[in-house]
Amino acid sequence: MLRALHIAWKDVRQTYRNVVALATMFVGPLLLASAIGGAFGTGDNFIIPAVKTAVVNQDLRSQAGTANQNLTAGAMLETALTSTELSGLVEVVKYDTPEKARVAVDKNEVAVAVIIPPGLSAALASAPREVATVEVYKNPGTTVGPAVVTAVVTSVLQEMEGARAAAAASAKLAFSHGLVDPTKLASIAQKTAEAFVQTQHKLTGASLESRGPVTSGAESLKRPNVASQVLVGMMLFFMLFGGSIPARGILDEHRSGTLPRLFTTPTPRAIILGGKYLAVFLVVLIQSAVLVIAGWLLLGADWGPVGPVVALVVVGALVAASQALLTVSFAKTPGQAGAVSSSIFVAMALISGNFFGTANAGETFAKVRRVSPLGWLMEAWGRLLYGGSWADVALPIVAVLGFTLVFFALATFFFRRRYA
Amino acid sequence: MSASRENAAEAIVVQNLRKQFDPPKGPVAVDNVSFSIKTGEIFSLLGPNGAGKTTTISILSCLLKPDQGEAWVGGYSVTREAEKVKALIGVVPQEIALYEDLTGRENLFFWGRMYGLRGKELESQVEEALELIGLTDRQRDRLSKYSGGMKRRLNIAAALLHRPRILYLDEPTVGIDPQSRRAILDRVKELNAAGVTVLYTTHYMEEAEELSHRIAIMDQGKMIAIGTKEELVQLVGGRTRIELTLDRHADLLAQRWRTLPGVESASAPEDGRLFLLADEASTLLPRLFETAREAGARITEINLAEPNLEMVFLHLTGRALRD
Repeated sequence: MLRALHIAWKDVRQTYRNVVALATMFVGPLLLASAIGGAFGTGDNFIIPAVKTAVVNQDLRSQAGTANQNLTAGAMLETALTSTELSGLVEVVKYDTPEKARVAVDKNEVAVAVIIPPGLSAALASAPREVATVEVYKNPGTTVGPAVVTAVVTSVLQEMEGARAAAAASAKLAFSHGLVDPTKLASIAQKTAEAFVQTQHKLTGASLESRGPVTSGAESLKRPNVASQVLVGMMLFFMLFGGSIPARGILDEHRSGTLPRLFTTPTPRAIILGGKYLAVFLVVLIQSAVLVIAGWLLLGADWGPVGPVVALVVVGALVAASQALLTVSFAKTPGQAGAVSSSIFVAMALISGNFFGTANAGETFAKVRRVSPLGWLMEAWGRLLYGGSWADVALPIVAVLGFTLVFFALATFFFRRRYA
Repeated sequence: MSASRENAAEAIVVQNLRKQFDPPKGPVAVDNVSFSIKTGEIFSLLGPNGAGKTTTISILSCLLKPDQGEAWVGGYSVTREAEKVKALIGVVPQEIALYEDLTGRENLFFWGRMYGLRGKELESQVEEALELIGLTDRQRDRLSKYSGGMKRRLNIAAALLHRPRILYLDEPTVGIDPQSRRAILDRVKELNAAGVTVLYTTHYMEEAEELSHRIAIMDQGKMIAIGTKEELVQLVGGRTRIELTLDRHADLLAQRWRTLPGVESASAPEDGRLFLLADEASTLLPRLFETAREAGARITEINLAEPNLEMVFLHLTGRALRD
């Protein structure tokens, strides 16, 4: 057994002295995850980050002449922008004057400024119509954030327009029925407008939905950053390549004569092959552990509870090692092994969704990818990233271990047939 | 014979070994080969590439299983007691079977461990081996920075760490400089003087002649002669070896000379140089000059010598060792 450890240690050393191997195992996945994470703005989320919005509300009660402060058009617009439904999308910062708000946009302190004019409520209430323009002042360098805010503002203004029309219609109707008291008519119009707004709000519900992985307890989901979601896919994909480097070493050693020479020593062949297997596992284990730690330190990945993370790292290394050994076991030359391995790994990664992160897996795809151990691992890591626990990863772990056993058995069959 | 053969006088016994690759149509690499090697002997397998030397060593190293026949090493069967055989032998393969990205020292430690050495014994053996092969100063360099000769020496040292009783060397001097070759041959003699039985394969006649107590000549999987150098040379009888160098038409003249009376065989020319095995040199020489002149060629150099192993091979196979 000690000799198997010596063989494994020798192979691990050889692998980690290989610059190309190091680049494949570490630089590739980290670089890709960083690059894709960086491409999504701050890299915080696939969901668009909250747009910092300056709001200047000049539509005051005295000017609106309404009894209810909350029913001024400016207040309603402000309330809409600060509503809980939009809290993840719009972050409001109040400013006193339009000039200050515009300067904040110019200095890139906020992405957009919404400047509500003094006569907005009056303009909405007046007949014939007065004109009051809500200004959306935006930084031309940003597009998504101002577009979102503009859409929200437009939606609220349309809602107000509808309320105004409803109020006018109800007042007109009351007047036609003989009601001439201006105070009562105003009260009817106000109540109608309030009812309209509430009904619209219930009907349209200005909420935005974000999708996450299929998991229980969705209400308590975390929101992992983009880089960590990409890193999971890249890590698992590159783990296969990490495993295939020492696995291909078996064929390299056969060709260079060191494996036959090993077979002339008193070390039994089973121990020699066992040492080789162990080396492949250790190489992948070290690789995945380093990537998980690097993801946490460099990319801010919050992997979740330590226990399930360690379990996934270990079973991931096991299945990557067994997969790498299997693809090498029936190849005749290292070159052939490299070509076959790459094709199989890319196909597996495509099926498993390694190239598009842990989120956004539709229900059908989530089922299809279970034909591959990588798919199960993607599912398990995805659950952990979204706040999952042991219960969420137990089934994937069992499934992956099943794949591992089958792959190891097949690899051993082929290797024994060749070297026994 | 199924049981172990305990015989202190015989280190290796080989009986009717046969090995065919990719049967039934593949080449027969070893064809009914039998020989024995005495304890303390240097025994050489001499033959051209493809003669079956490496396959024979591979069977005796328990790397390959024979199709037929049996072999015993140190009294243990290579087919049934492989682990015991492996503990007795050290194998120096033809290629440099070492790890390029490990240092010389790391390589020796690794191979020592594979032979079961541990702790201080391993360390002292590695230090001693490095000293012996003159690589103490370079021990922490990776193998990729070593010269071919240094690698060859390390290749041998790796097989000696566990002090084997029997050492196999498969063409250990291929592709190295004369100085390193000399060092290796001297080392083999020293090891033998220390009691190590040596099985040595080569296609260099001079090495076999210099080193060996006995030599077996192999060709196309068959053992065609076995004995001491003197015994083998006697197979040629009282014939003379005539070495010639021609300025042109060497191939043509070799063909003609093969048909001359008194010429037993002629080697294929190489750079205008060839040799003949002749019954009576004194009557043949004038004819050689005459036929060369007729062909428009000139003999630029001629030597007469006692027969050697190359002549034996030519005599037995009709081909030179290099052919």
